[in-house]
Amino acid sequence: MYDRFKPFRSVIVVFLLLAALLFSGNPASAQYPGYSAIPDLPSFKKKFTVESATVESISSGFTQEKILSALTEKITSSGKFWFKRSNKVRIEYLKPFVYLMVMNGDKMLIRDEQKESRINVKSNRLFQQVNRIMIDCVQGTILDSKDFSPKVFEDKNTYLLEMTPTSKTLREFFQTIVLVVDKKDYSAISIVMNEPGGDKTTITFTDKKLNTQLSDAVFTL
Amino acid sequence: MRCLPCSLALVMLMSCASEYKHLQPVGPDPACFNKIAPLHITTSWYNASVDVVGKHLSGLLLIKNMPDSSDRVVFTNEVGVTFFDFGFSREGEFKVYSVVSQLNKKAVIETLQKDFELILGLPFRKGLYYRSIVGDEIYFGVKQKSETAYFITSKDCASLQRLEWGTARKRIVSVTTPGSGYPSPETVVLAHHNFNMQIKLTRIQRE
Repeated sequence: MYDRFKPFRSVIVVFLLLAALLFSGNPASAQYPGYSAIPDLPSFKKKFTVESATVESISSGFTQEKILSALTEKITSSGKFWFKRSNKVRIEYLKPFVYLMVMNGDKMLIRDEQKESRINVKSNRLFQQVNRIMIDCVQGTILDSKDFSPKVFEDKNTYLLEMTPTSKTLREFFQTIVLVVDKKDYSAISIVMNEPGGDKTTITFTDKKLNTQLSDAVFTL
Repeated sequence: MRCLPCSLALVMLMSCASEYKHLQPVGPDPACFNKIAPLHITTSWYNASVDVVGKHLSGLLLIKNMPDSSDRVVFTNEVGVTFFDFGFSREGEFKVYSVVSQLNKKAVIETLQKDFELILGLPFRKGLYYRSIVGDEIYFGVKQKSETAYFITSKDCASLQRLEWGTARKRIVSVTTPGSGYPSPETVVLAHHNFNMQIKLTRIQRE
């Protein structure tokens, strides 16, 4: 029986990987009204990396809306997000359910309404991949990631990054991930996760505060 | 010590005894059946917690009543990514609309199918059952191939005690609904008795 349910472990790992992508402080997207393509992607990548590096910390609220198009159903949740350079992230869902994920270096804490788990990401290759993507995101190097093929667009106030997964694993979950980034401070305004089946999840960040003093206690595991 | 082999043999014999051996069919009770049979769950979102042989997984589960009287069961993680989408028709047909490759194993899908058939009360919808009284409980059983689905009430038919899947000899799965019951249970707890797996659903109060 044990082996029959070994797949659940992979699901947990994939979930963490997806969460890492969704809550990155950086953006990407394409073919959208009001936006035009950025012609020189390599130059943008350099600029994006430099500007993102100036963000030492983020604290923010977020609202998440999951839409199941075929079932005409949606569920909205909300919570808080914190990032502190380097390698510290806390994502906390507060309504209508409680769910916490904290990443601190090579360690990770996951707490749902039933259980708390601590994970050493070094113990598993997939967890290492999660960690790498998370760091790529928060340090502004996600555009160089081999896991995605990016297209970048802009309007007057924002950049729109469309990230198309290149790996089979990620393509199973995402058609594209679209991130809208504020030109003012290079922080994410919203993230849209488009699934192959037509469902989508939109996360909108609210009440963002950049480079404020964040205690390490926020990221205690 | 001389008694040890005898004791072990007795324990083994007892463990082989059917858990349903005391079920003696009695006449039907349509009034009780109509009053308490768990025949469906109304559309709800649940916070889902799954424990399988030491592995823990959480997420959100949607049970959706469709216009054609079928039910859809969709499981996503907290971040919103869909892990599976199953359909159960009124006629009892099962359809996999989507499932991630990590869960796309025959044994996993068949187990989840049977689990949700019981939670949704599908075996009882045809209304064909046999009834047995054991102690303070009434068993309403619906035979399906080699297994039987039961819903079990108090002797006075005042409350639903639990649901079960069982073979002729052993209880395989049980479902309880602490708090408010069908058709809008606040909590659903499903436990497997032949291996270590539990699913706990807690209804989400949406704003």
